[in-house]
Amino acid sequence: MPDERQIERAIARAFRPRRRLTRRAFLQQSGRGAVIAGSALSLPAILAACGIGPGDSPGASGASQAPLPSAPAGVLDFANWPAYIDIDEETGDYPTLAKFTDDTEIEVTYTEAINDNEEFFGTIQPDLAAGNPPGYDIIVMTDWMIEKMIRLGYLQELDHSRIPNFDANALELYKNPWYDPNNAHSIAWQSGITGIGYNPTLTGREITTFDDLLDPEFAGRVGMFSEMRDTMSLTLLSLGIEPADATVEQAAEARDKLLGPAQSGQFRNFYGNEYYDELANGNLALTIAWSGDVSQMKLYDNSDVEFVVPDTGGMLWIDNMAIPNGAAHPLDAHMMMDFWYDIENAVPLTEYVGYFSPVSGVTERVLEDAETAEAEGDTEWAEALRVISATANPSDEVLSQVHNYRRLTEEEESQWNDYFNEVVAG
Amino acid sequence: MPRRWRWLVPYLFLIPGGLWLLAFFVVPMLVMASVSLQEGSLGTGYSMTWNFGVYPEMLTQWATQFVRSLVYALIVTALTLAIGYPVAYTIAFRGGRYKNVLLLLVILPFFTAYIIRTLSWKLILADNGFALGTLKDVGILDDGFRLIATPIAVVSGLTYNFLPFMILPLYVALEKIDWRLVEAATDLYASRAQAFLRVTLPLSMPGVFAGSLLTFIPAIGDFINSEILGSRDTTMIGQVIQRLFLNNNAYPEAAALGFMLMAGIMVLIVMYSRAVGADQLTR
Repeated sequence: MPDERQIERAIARAFRPRRRLTRRAFLQQSGRGAVIAGSALSLPAILAACGIGPGDSPGASGASQAPLPSAPAGVLDFANWPAYIDIDEETGDYPTLAKFTDDTEIEVTYTEAINDNEEFFGTIQPDLAAGNPPGYDIIVMTDWMIEKMIRLGYLQELDHSRIPNFDANALELYKNPWYDPNNAHSIAWQSGITGIGYNPTLTGREITTFDDLLDPEFAGRVGMFSEMRDTMSLTLLSLGIEPADATVEQAAEARDKLLGPAQSGQFRNFYGNEYYDELANGNLALTIAWSGDVSQMKLYDNSDVEFVVPDTGGMLWIDNMAIPNGAAHPLDAHMMMDFWYDIENAVPLTEYVGYFSPVSGVTERVLEDAETAEAEGDTEWAEALRVISATANPSDEVLSQVHNYRRLTEEEESQWNDYFNEVVAG
Repeated sequence: MPRRWRWLVPYLFLIPGGLWLLAFFVVPMLVMASVSLQEGSLGTGYSMTWNFGVYPEMLTQWATQFVRSLVYALIVTALTLAIGYPVAYTIAFRGGRYKNVLLLLVILPFFTAYIIRTLSWKLILADNGFALGTLKDVGILDDGFRLIATPIAVVSGLTYNFLPFMILPLYVALEKIDWRLVEAATDLYASRAQAFLRVTLPLSMPGVFAGSLLTFIPAIGDFINSEILGSRDTTMIGQVIQRLFLNNNAYPEAAALGFMLMAGIMVLIVMYSRAVGADQLTR
């Protein structure tokens, strides 16, 4: 969606001092200008000259990647999702990030620039395709997007000798994942589940299954996601189809299942991150939701809400830190990645965001902190920490209910997008 | 400058604006025209295939959203005119020494970002927010009543956001009118209504023309109001273009839609200026 935040960020970015072009990017750009200028100025020639290059043309991954510099640059641009890092509620500062700057003297520009995988990808894709610096050293993207960006050659390979904490402390679930063999290009930030969030006082009953979202009783009070993969995958699961193996025909079935309710006004709207406010303030009775959001909402915004993995299954997603091509400060980015796999830094992050942590031992440490808080008489915080520690790692039971996304080929993706567009735009 | 070079002066004056338009309007347009005719994918890159078929294809696929945007924009233009005319009239003829203060109030909303203003309507009109919530508590409204996620909210949001663009040109046109002409009309036994219809209104038509263009054109392509205040069933063409560009990376399709929107607007403007008289703009 044209996200308001995204637009404000775009404005902010336009006003930010312009980064120096690398020599290579400069030559590429001026080269393209020369092609246009030189093409005899006939209209068809001009039109034909502005083709868009293939994914892995300039400065792509692999052997051609430049080695890491020997010393950090002292600056880092980090793009992340809203409310996805520990924030000091009073000052608005990021305490753990500040600690990183104290430790390393690297100044971090942290922006909550990402609201939707596809939309963020859409804003940096032209730069990546043209070989221009995208303006970020670390981006946080969901597993299926990581897979797509690796395929297009948009991500730098990681130097694992620079991120020893990952190899030492990462949980098995996050090592060598399906979307990035051997974590060659990415390591997990946090993970969670796409399921259903609901407010029992508004639904009047327990919600257990995906089809509850389509129950006419809740017409106009149901939220859906504008992210095609989440919405389509949950729908496929409700049809008994494993999303990772779904065919284009089965995607059409999922569309058919959603189209009728969509046309009859069953869904209030299709949301990005802003579904959070709509559920918290009661405009939505039930909605597709991300697990950690609902834990946060329960603690801070609306104690009534509940999260449930639909009985037909939910989606497990893993958000990852990755370094896009053309990132100006790759060594600083490696140091930042390593930093979060130190348990001392992973614990405050988890205690704030409430998602699954990829770092081993976090659950126990959060529980210890709960006991400390209890002993100090802060029972409310102790209770909150207990809730978080219980959900800081998925239980085996939860893991048995969740599924992975499909690796969509470009052709399949455009088909699925067409189907989904019919559903979201009436 | 020697007299025989004088004829060059106007052209020299056109150079800065001309270069600006060339760099930031003509060139991007050519790039978009090119993109709209290409085929390909992110993985393989896009190349020129002169695929004109994308135009009819997109037009049929998104006809509903085109028509909806047109209807919304027409309603918004009519509403801003109906609301803006009395305001501009009052400021121009009855404003007295408060004229500047009143004008300042009209443009005051521009001191806040467009998005912030629209988002705040979402909060004000939330289903159980302080406007609707209060009315529901009192029992005036039904519990299920809502404004957000309806066409009413979208059209109201657009009207609110574009109202100053209607009031300001209307004010400029009305302010120029020599009040003695109206007095002359009444002296010649015209009623107040007749004087308005036969003197004031015709003389203010340049303002009406400029104001309705300034309102209609941004309104038809707007994607913010429907996104924030609307729902699936208020999807406007601007949102579709935005979604195709950013979410689906369907660059040719999005570029083709953008061109058709622009062409449609141009046709409508030509028709409108024929009907009202293009000289109204320059009078």
